Amino acid sequence: MEIALDTPARLRAVPSRPSAEPVPAEQATDSELLVRVADRDREAFDVLYHRYIRSVFGLALQRLRDRDRAEDATQEMFAAVWRSAGSYRPERGPAAPWLYAIARNAIVDRLRSRSELPVEPPDMTADEPGPAERAESSFVSWRVHRALETLPEREREVVELAYWSGLSQSEVASFLDIPLGTVKTRTRSALAHLADVLEGELA
Amino acid sequence: MTPPPEFEEIVGGDVEAAERARLARVHALLVQAGPPPELSPELESGPTLGMTLTRRPGRARRRVMLLAAAVAIVALAFLGGYIAGNGGGTASAEVLKLTGTPAAPHAFASLQVEPVDEGGNWPMRLSVTGLPKLSGHSYYEVFLVRHGKPYAPCGSFKVAADRATTVQLNAPYRLRHSDTWVVTRQTPGSHEPGAVVLKPV
Repeated sequence: MEIALDTPARLRAVPSRPSAEPVPAEQATDSELLVRVADRDREAFDVLYHRYIRSVFGLALQRLRDRDRAEDATQEMFAAVWRSAGSYRPERGPAAPWLYAIARNAIVDRLRSRSELPVEPPDMTADEPGPAERAESSFVSWRVHRALETLPEREREVVELAYWSGLSQSEVASFLDIPLGTVKTRTRSALAHLADVLEGELA
Repeated sequence: MTPPPEFEEIVGGDVEAAERARLARVHALLVQAGPPPELSPELESGPTLGMTLTRRPGRARRRVMLLAAAVAIVALAFLGGYIAGNGGGTASAEVLKLTGTPAAPHAFASLQVEPVDEGGNWPMRLSVTGLPKLSGHSYYEVFLVRHGKPYAPCGSFKVAADRATTVQLNAPYRLRHSDTWVVTRQTPGSHEPGAVVLKPV
């Protein structure tokens, strides 16, 4: 049964605070979005969510090693962002590290949750990374996955196929049915774009 | 594990040294980071309603808060009934206004959704006026609507003639930002959603 709703009515906050934003949320920086989220701007929250969802979930999955628990931690992380966005101060630094700290806390809370068994750390050999290396590696993944979200779709596509699908450049060209030269141009352009974003630290 | 691509194959030979080094750093980071995770459809669909509701305080903190609030409650006791009777709620609650369809043109309702509890329940309070009293064993049902379709029932109720009715309901589901609710008229024995009598304004 389909229910026809005349207007796309959705839940609204109480009290509602109408706001007129000069810059579309999609074009706002992460810092600007956080400031708007503090004012209970749901559109800004939605944009921020989609920018960071893969980074947050990836981090949670890496630490918790369980999809259900990682999903719960991800939900909690974004709930924490909604609650605490007012404590973010743009003049103290960019948004990405602030969000990373919130995500890490949500994951730690999930690990410490009394109602759930903690994940047993695996037996480590001398060759495996220690906590410091793992933390650094997590932050690298966080930054790279976030930076990937800034790429145009056609650039992200060739990067994902080249790096994580095991396809050669020729195979990517064949798969996407585009010239090999176009694949190389897009991939190089994507790397340059990622370099710009990562050097700018996602301000 | 998928072997990383050859940097030379990607970048080629016609790039100056400084730019090559810059791209090589990104290449190394991509290899180190690994692929982004696959998202479940639920995560992919966007923020959930639960993210924008204030979480209920933990038990220990709640106990302290209850103790502190007790004095205020006593002092304001006479106001409690007034507030309850007039749909007052917590600042973190969300309210959905519902209006009658042609099946119940004089009906109006307010559905207040409270923050989720530790068990995953979303307590809700529906205050409704103008719904006709149903005959026999017929009743009204509140349905969670997702993507334009009834997704799950959240509770049933009846009304007296010409009376405002307030009932407590529950949605034991992981709510999404775009979720909404309708009220349907149900006949006994039917598990399919009946005619919609109240829909969101």
